[in-house]
Amino acid sequence: MQSRAHAIWVILLSFFIAYLLAIVPFPDWAMNYRPEWVPMVLIYWVMALPYRVGIGSAWIVGIVLDVLEGSVLGLNALGLVIIAYVTLNLHQRLRMFSALQQAGLVFAMVGINLMLNRWLEILTGQTVASNLLFLSAALTSAIIWPPMFQLLRHIRRSFDVH
Amino acid sequence: MFADGRFGYLERVRYGLGYVTTPVYWVADIPTRISFWIDDVFVSRSDLLVENERLREDLLVAQRELQLLESLASENSRLLDLREATQVIAREVMPAEIINVSPDPYSKRILINKGSEDGVFLGQALLDAKGLMGQVDEVLPFSAWVLLITDSHHITPVEVNRNGERALARGSRSTVSELELEFVTQTQDMKAGDLLVSSGMGQVYPKNYPVAEVTSVYSDPGQDFTTVKARPLAQLASTRHVMLVFASEERVLPEFDLEPGEETLPEAQPVKPVFDESQVSQIDPSTSNQ
Repeated sequence: MQSRAHAIWVILLSFFIAYLLAIVPFPDWAMNYRPEWVPMVLIYWVMALPYRVGIGSAWIVGIVLDVLEGSVLGLNALGLVIIAYVTLNLHQRLRMFSALQQAGLVFAMVGINLMLNRWLEILTGQTVASNLLFLSAALTSAIIWPPMFQLLRHIRRSFDVH
Repeated sequence: MFADGRFGYLERVRYGLGYVTTPVYWVADIPTRISFWIDDVFVSRSDLLVENERLREDLLVAQRELQLLESLASENSRLLDLREATQVIAREVMPAEIINVSPDPYSKRILINKGSEDGVFLGQALLDAKGLMGQVDEVLPFSAWVLLITDSHHITPVEVNRNGERALARGSRSTVSELELEFVTQTQDMKAGDLLVSSGMGQVYPKNYPVAEVTSVYSDPGQDFTTVKARPLAQLASTRHVMLVFASEERVLPEFDLEPGEETLPEAQPVKPVFDESQVSQIDPSTSNQ
């Protein structure tokens, strides 16, 4: 049916842009404050279209991100699958939340993802243990979330993705 | 799942996915290319003239040094011929461009725009105009990740250019871009300002390329080893144009010979012998006194 695969390119394009923002080089001091674009876009699509974007898509998105960042395969995939699972369970409540409550939940989920990534990176010897500054990305993600949510919702409605 | 990444059999998957990710890198690189393009197009005539003048002077100086180097190289190869050993200095290089850096500030890796389609291989050395930068860590179809010499997991075998003292230069464990020399004893002769060149041991890097300059030597009598820090010469953070080195085929290291007369020669530091029969057999010890 036509409606089955309606405007899937919008979803793909949004992930493509999220990948771009995730790997675009930043100045060194700003590296720790880079918002986690890919998890945020994933949270939005799982929340808005849980029957289209789910745990399987989250895994594929994560594997591609792993290759892009040159990290161990499955590192980001695991984190994103967990995010997708939590969002799937909460999506009905998330839609009712105010922007501030949503941002709080995004903060928690991105923070868990960051911590999990860091543990796995240290476990696999990709990086060395350091301070907790890397968690500040969760804060910037939460701050970015409300405008980003509005933007993505606007895009979803104008392109009629369902 | 992620544990699979520790073993080799997922490399092919990663390689295949490299085709998918190439356009992302390409698009992510557009802003940089546009800014370079703008720099190229909107540049004043007087600036161009000044730059042209400067480049011509640089070229002149470089050519003069090249002439000097050629005579030194031929002299060196004559001397090495006397010892029945050849070490080919001329190597092929391929220009490449840096298109991305690792998003993790604690892992110092960069992405270059040449991949296995261009003949890049694992462990290949990367240089810029000033010195050694790193080695290829992961090869994708059209790009490759390079581990920089300042990464804390990377160790470069170096020697002091002034006196041939050997050392191992490990990348700093902090976000600072510097090198620390490991296991330097209190008696080794090193001082600030010394040039460190690659020693060619470990067979990864070509010999005698500049690596770093010693910035500080701190010797604590209570410690076993001296703390030596060095600043990499390559412009790791600012350059975009880099070179990949292709080792030439006929590489034969000097024969490891314990004749007493050999020790007076400056080259007679114990160079690690190669346990490769095909290479060792090319050296015929019977002709050493011709």
